[in-house]
Amino acid sequence: MGVSSMAAASDGMQLQLCVFDLRRGQQEGQELDKILFFYPTDCPFLTQLSLVGLCEGIITFTRIFSPEAACEVIEAEKHSHVFYEAEPDIWMILVVEKSKDDGQVWRCEALRGVLKEVHSLFKMFHMSIHALLDKKPSGELARSHLHSFITDYLSDFQLGKRMQMPSFRDSLKERGTVQMLTVSREVALEVQSLITSISSCCNGCDSLILFQDLLVSTTLPPDDTANLFSYCTLRLTPHALSSSTSSWSYLRKGHSTPNLSNLTTLDEHQSRSRDTSQGQNSQISSIPRFLQRDKWSKGKDGFLVPNFPSGEVGSFVLSTPVVWNQQNDNCKYLCVYQHKGITVVMLVSATSLANGEQGLVQVKNQFLENVAQRVTAVEQKLSRGWGGENAYHVSGYRYLLIDRDRSVSRATPAGKVTTLKKESLVYLNKLREEVDIEKGRWHRDNPHQEKELEVSIRAENNAWVIAKVIRGKELYMVLEKANETLLYATDAVEKFSNRYCEGAFSMEY
Amino acid sequence: MMQTRAGSSRSDALSHAYIQNPPIRCNIPETRGLFYDDGNKLLLSPTADQVLSWKVGVPSQHNPPNSDLIGEGPVLSIRYSLDQKAIAIQRSIHEVEFRNRETGLTFSRKCKQDLERILGFFWTDCPTCDIVLIKTSGIELLLYDPEQNSLHVVETKKLSVNWYVYTHESRMLLLASGMQCTVFSGYQFSAAAGIVRLPKFEMSMTKSEANSKPVLSSDDVHIVTVYGRIYCLQFDRVGMHLNVYRFYRDAVVEQGNIPAYSSRVAISTVDNVILSHQLDAKVVMLYDLFLDSLNPISAPLPLLLKGSSGSNSRSTSEVSDSISSAYEGMIYSDNWNFLVPDLICDVENGLVWKICLDVEAISASSSDVPSILQFLQCRRSDPAMIKALCLAITRTLILERRPISVIARAMDVLVASYSNFLRSGSTPPVTQNTGNDQSTDGSGVASEHAITGTANKSIIADSSSGVSMHSPSSSDDEVNPEESEKQVRDKSLQSSVSQQMASHGSSVAISPDEMYRFVFALVEDEMSGDPSYLISVIVEFLRSASREKLKMNPDIYLMMNQLLARSNQHTDIALFVSNKIIEPSKEVAMQLVGFGQQNYKIRKLGMDMLRQLSLHHDYVSVLLQDGYYLEALRYARKHKVITVQPALFLEAAMASNNALHLAAVMRFFSDFAPSFKTTLDYGRYQQVLSELS
Repeated sequence: MGVSSMAAASDGMQLQLCVFDLRRGQQEGQELDKILFFYPTDCPFLTQLSLVGLCEGIITFTRIFSPEAACEVIEAEKHSHVFYEAEPDIWMILVVEKSKDDGQVWRCEALRGVLKEVHSLFKMFHMSIHALLDKKPSGELARSHLHSFITDYLSDFQLGKRMQMPSFRDSLKERGTVQMLTVSREVALEVQSLITSISSCCNGCDSLILFQDLLVSTTLPPDDTANLFSYCTLRLTPHALSSSTSSWSYLRKGHSTPNLSNLTTLDEHQSRSRDTSQGQNSQISSIPRFLQRDKWSKGKDGFLVPNFPSGEVGSFVLSTPVVWNQQNDNCKYLCVYQHKGITVVMLVSATSLANGEQGLVQVKNQFLENVAQRVTAVEQKLSRGWGGENAYHVSGYRYLLIDRDRSVSRATPAGKVTTLKKESLVYLNKLREEVDIEKGRWHRDNPHQEKELEVSIRAENNAWVIAKVIRGKELYMVLEKANETLLYATDAVEKFSNRYCEGAFSMEY
Repeated sequence: MMQTRAGSSRSDALSHAYIQNPPIRCNIPETRGLFYDDGNKLLLSPTADQVLSWKVGVPSQHNPPNSDLIGEGPVLSIRYSLDQKAIAIQRSIHEVEFRNRETGLTFSRKCKQDLERILGFFWTDCPTCDIVLIKTSGIELLLYDPEQNSLHVVETKKLSVNWYVYTHESRMLLLASGMQCTVFSGYQFSAAAGIVRLPKFEMSMTKSEANSKPVLSSDDVHIVTVYGRIYCLQFDRVGMHLNVYRFYRDAVVEQGNIPAYSSRVAISTVDNVILSHQLDAKVVMLYDLFLDSLNPISAPLPLLLKGSSGSNSRSTSEVSDSISSAYEGMIYSDNWNFLVPDLICDVENGLVWKICLDVEAISASSSDVPSILQFLQCRRSDPAMIKALCLAITRTLILERRPISVIARAMDVLVASYSNFLRSGSTPPVTQNTGNDQSTDGSGVASEHAITGTANKSIIADSSSGVSMHSPSSSDDEVNPEESEKQVRDKSLQSSVSQQMASHGSSVAISPDEMYRFVFALVEDEMSGDPSYLISVIVEFLRSASREKLKMNPDIYLMMNQLLARSNQHTDIALFVSNKIIEPSKEVAMQLVGFGQQNYKIRKLGMDMLRQLSLHHDYVSVLLQDGYYLEALRYARKHKVITVQPALFLEAAMASNNALHLAAVMRFFSDFAPSFKTTLDYGRYQQVLSELS
């Protein structure tokens, strides 16, 4: 543990996030070149270097034993260091403080989820870090992009002066998964038909349809869907657009107006990087900051209007955000239409448009002419069948249901989770940690064989804390004020499984 | 019966309607006129003392005329009773003679010579009376007693009548009165509902000048029965249009008008399509009132004469050809009489032609495919041919990759038609019924009430569209229309009306299964490349079908899965399965399991489906295949699956190289399968176990 990070902690600093490239700065004296991003940005270089040095050392050491998967986490007395190898040799490190007074209890996988999310969103908008480094070997492009992107992303976690990372209170949530709206077959067919007509007005583009903050349909593969879904719920859905936050949320929302003042002054710090050229400042200001808040607004025609400075993205100069497909490096315009609760996200392939961004106007007109009316009709059907923000609440249960195969999860609405006792959630957090470790073990043993696991814990306050993993599906549950017998707990799970999971978690013995 | 393909020699000429060669020949010498008894579908031709009758709709070669003695005397009008036990003959404007066919006894009913004239009469199957006599002073409802050969007056209704129009098809009697003959009283004499009296109504006439008051002629009023609804088309000669009225039980509602391009207009209905013959212009216009649209189906085109197919009448084909070539110039000649609903009587030559529609030509003439399908689905004349045509059109639609919105509308039409067909109890909503009017009485009005609301009960028409006749009279208005038939020369009578024989038992409606086999499966073979278009098409079909709550055969889902898997759209498979667009079934589940070779997640979808469908045996088998033998064992015990061989569990346990597990499996079967210890497996694995330990 570096002395500097200890010092930072004593300053009331609870969080450090670092991105570095193992291949860079190999020569003595150039170590700073490794660092692509460091938060907090005003952290002394010495501290930065000491963290990177420690992590690099640990990685190099653990690779000797486990070349495929190096270090995952360092648990120190006062800090946790969570490792994530975002791209080969590009590491992201998150350091969080274990503070005793307010009982901050983290779960390592949940923290890694944050790193994964910010990286995959970054990749979606700006291509991979490798690609940016290849473009400008000096690293200035990657640094400036990472700087604006990650700071914007972190602003969502800002709670007053503090950074609030996902804690045990969020253990009935799963980052990086999609929450879906359950629709009847008839409506599903209606939606599918709508997708066809959307695709026909934009040369067979991919699309995503959300209702409120839930996914209705997608034509994208699961990982792209999950990324875009996160972005939508962060910035695009009616809920995300309206600054007022309701009690209901499947994802965390900004708890207060984000304090961007310190972010905008960060440029100066960043420019201290050694390879920073004189043009750095102008360069930064021209980077479209897709994660910045309040950059989208609803236009009169129903399309969301992006308000980003036009900037160079890849080889394109444009003001409409583009995203990059994970599979093939295709650049696509992000085109968003919204009517009441429904949000339609179209990914219009840049190559399919004859005259670039101007072609988008044509696509939009076609959409308004042929599809908008059907969107309205589908919206009506969806809102008629919509049970409200507590639609998926099951009384008596506090649950989280994850389908890993489809990257889909469903959980008790956040508002209902808050009724749980703190102890129950801490237990659940601990249990999830154990399950994460067990799953990791299974995966190392045999990645193709899926196993089953069931744990029921009698916690304080007459609570049952249950985890059940069955071949790709996971169920976590807290039953408070519950009968003391194990039979009661298993019965409750059985009932829930039959009623809401089509028997996926039913007892088989 | 492929009339439309007949007469290929003329197929180059554009036409949507044609008359079919050979005609019925009624030109036997010494006959005095030709009458059409639409109640019995008989062509009647009186001679000096007898009447010859031909049943219409029977192939002419095997249809020698019957004859009945009717005695001497003039015949102004003649009709057989509906049970054919008696013949009524109007002898003069004051006398109708009734003749019992068995006994030959006759008696006459006469009216007061100076006060009234008999305008006509008809037999009816309404329960309260047998015959209705229309006089200038009103109508008389009479009961006929064949035993006594006598009449009893049931009721008389007094009103002044100028002329009347009646068709047996509609059972509607319209009585014209007033100075301009525009005030109408209407009665319907139906077997089911008895006598229904319509409210009095007035037809509108455009005035040419301020003072002139045109008088409406009976020629210009046509009762039209389509889709079991009754309409009246009134030709307004000054306004040059036809007013369309629809009859409801308690109202007569004007529907608008359709234009006329000729000073003489005749109306026919063929297969529920209204044909408006513009006699001067020698063209015919087609209207389909199914969706209450008064727009013509297609452009005005001439009526053609088409030869018969060779097989139909080999012996007369030569004669037919000569007639057809000679007859071509006679189309819409002045001596044509248009009989209700679809016959043309050439009085001069003693020929009766049947009008047919060329549905292929109609369907080829429009680019609006959904409307064409809608039109075709309403046709009843040749279900097999029309169904084949609809299937072919749908296939072409898909193969041409027309916009999905068009496909969606086409699917809606086809599915709605099929669901209509199902709802009407496996009978097409509008039945074409050749012989028996009563059997399907009112079957066609189910859809009526929805359109008209509950207040207006629609008048029920007999859904007969067999041959019946209202002959527009060329003589005075007072004369019974049937007297207007001119004398025709004696010739043999032939029937070309044969198509209606084939119309029973099949329907034009396309079932989901047929849709799959004759459309999707066929186009799949022909379509190459990206299957996403075809998937979208199928989704549209499923959407229509789900709206109508139709059951699907799993085949269509298997095909969808196949298409999705071929293009690696595994996300879509997962989505479609999870939101039940692809409905769960054993076939689908096993297919998904099979796809697992490429994608294990898809295999799991299939397994989940097996479990949800409680196909325990298959679920356990698949678990075993994947090596989840402990899970399989637990599941088997819980659901009491005893059909899976213990050997399979043992093999799977063996493969895992885990002696502990193998022993557990052994123990399980020893405990729960009593006969297990006696099997060879037991001994074998016992040995394996001992070697391992």
